[in-house]
Amino acid sequence: MVTKCLRSLNGLFLILCAAATTFPLLNVLATSFSGSTAILSGEVFLWPVDWTMTAFSNLFKDGQLMNAMKNTVIITVAGTIMQMTATTLAAYSLSKTRLKGRRIALLLILFTMMFGSGLIPMFLLLKNLHILNTFWAIWLPGLISAYNLFVMKSSFEGLPGELEESATIDGASDLTIFTRIVIPLSKPVLAAISLFYAVGLWNVYAPALYFITDSSKMPLTVKLYQMIQLPDSNLLDSSDLSFVPPEGMKAAAIIITVLPILCLYPFLQKYFVKGVLLGSIKG
Amino acid sequence: MEDLAVVETVAGGRVPSSKKRNRLLYYLGRDRYLYLFLLPALVFYLVFKYSPLYGELIAFKDFQIMKGIWNSPWVGLKHFNDLLSSQDFWQVFRNTMLLNVYKLVFVFPAPIILALMLNEVRFNGFKRLIQNLLYLPHFISWVVLGGVIVAVLSPSTGIINTLLEKGFGIEPVYFMAHSGWWPVVFTFSSIWQSAGWGTILYLAAMATIDPQLYEAAKIDGASKLRQIWHVTLPGIRPTIAILLILQMGQITDVGFEQVYNLQNEAVFGVSDVISTYVYRMGLQAAQYSYSTAVGLFQGVIALILMFAVNKITKAMGENGLW
Repeated sequence: MVTKCLRSLNGLFLILCAAATTFPLLNVLATSFSGSTAILSGEVFLWPVDWTMTAFSNLFKDGQLMNAMKNTVIITVAGTIMQMTATTLAAYSLSKTRLKGRRIALLLILFTMMFGSGLIPMFLLLKNLHILNTFWAIWLPGLISAYNLFVMKSSFEGLPGELEESATIDGASDLTIFTRIVIPLSKPVLAAISLFYAVGLWNVYAPALYFITDSSKMPLTVKLYQMIQLPDSNLLDSSDLSFVPPEGMKAAAIIITVLPILCLYPFLQKYFVKGVLLGSIKG
Repeated sequence: MEDLAVVETVAGGRVPSSKKRNRLLYYLGRDRYLYLFLLPALVFYLVFKYSPLYGELIAFKDFQIMKGIWNSPWVGLKHFNDLLSSQDFWQVFRNTMLLNVYKLVFVFPAPIILALMLNEVRFNGFKRLIQNLLYLPHFISWVVLGGVIVAVLSPSTGIINTLLEKGFGIEPVYFMAHSGWWPVVFTFSSIWQSAGWGTILYLAAMATIDPQLYEAAKIDGASKLRQIWHVTLPGIRPTIAILLILQMGQITDVGFEQVYNLQNEAVFGVSDVISTYVYRMGLQAAQYSYSTAVGLFQGVIALILMFAVNKITKAMGENGLW
């Protein structure tokens, strides 16, 4: 009896936690579709009041946010491809114990997980390489995440060795083994790591803030931050017929930024969990 | 060459020549693809992880952008003296430590408690739904989370203040601009963003606990809570230890994005931390040498802390990180 009571309390508490986690997001979603009077009088809770799309059409009319969206898509797609290429190749190479110099390479990588260089030295480096204010300033400094590299390496090490041995006997080179055997067998881990990289790039903020000052090259996150930080009066333009209060505009911009993740999340989240667990098994 | 390599590999990788140079060439030839694969990563680590360490030198110099890193004059520990005697720095340092202490005390246990509760749920569909909802904020940028928090807590239109006013007749509170409330908001936002995702590792650790232990405890008459205390918690102790070390290693580093997206000028006194300070002094005020010194100071302390905590954890009988 006591156990049963505890169990339902437990379930109730978890429901409350999940609700508290999602309500703020739902509230902003509702605000983005609500009419101005409802927003200003604080009537919007979890469902839009006086349904309208004006905030979104205003944002789409303003080319800046669309340009930022384009930048973010380029940064995410091209960046993920580069990160995956570099990480996968290195992880495969480092998964081979016969490789001379492997230990030194692993130690070099491990050390960077404990001690990173400062912001200013990185800034000066990018300046000397003349890639400030280009997407390269986002792509290159974050090309490989040591954590992802180790996850992938241990996953490659877990592949059955017999397959590769017999391929070697048949005269296959490391290149052939890699493209014909290792890659096809590693689809789950490749999917998980690509997703981690892609989400990271979609959400990229600090590097973009540090290294990209050219307004036309800023990603969505930086533009969104500027919008959120604007004093409310700058967004107010009451002469405009399609008036939306700043809270509504900000809510719509937030939703545009987070929408792709919200839409894909239900389908992809099992890969995320898999990715984390893969990493934790071998530490 | 290829044939030879294959034969040698099959024969156990015997080296054909005793001379060192030849041996090196042999390995380079045999594993040429592996070395080629490693090349991009190697270049990346040398250029973007190790070469900036050379740039850290400007912490000991008066860096002038025209002269470059090497030709700028040495000033020894001047910048470190400056920062140790600067009030700003100590305030920022104190804030960083304080916010991290809040994280350690309130945020670190949150996923453990959540995982313990999730672990007791018997109905799988319900469990998965709750988990998915709890994980969600982890995938959202701090810009968005910060924007949502500011919107929800707004004194004029925010839902929280509306509820407080209508439900309890409480005057609207400007949470984000109140030095007393800001750390509370910060702490809650950390729990919001990370507690759900943090449960994954604990749940995985719980799944590996031998069910026989629970059986034995049950036979001995242990209640549910005692089972959690005597079986589940000891079972996840190593996981807790490792995550605690990692957390301690970050005690001098509050994530830049979280603080930057939540702070505003009204609460600089409690919200300005080392990373935001370095950004403001370094990139916005162009005090390159000084802010590099601040960053270096932070990095070294973090490194020392990590070693210290690892040692303590080992002394307590856990595995530690290395």
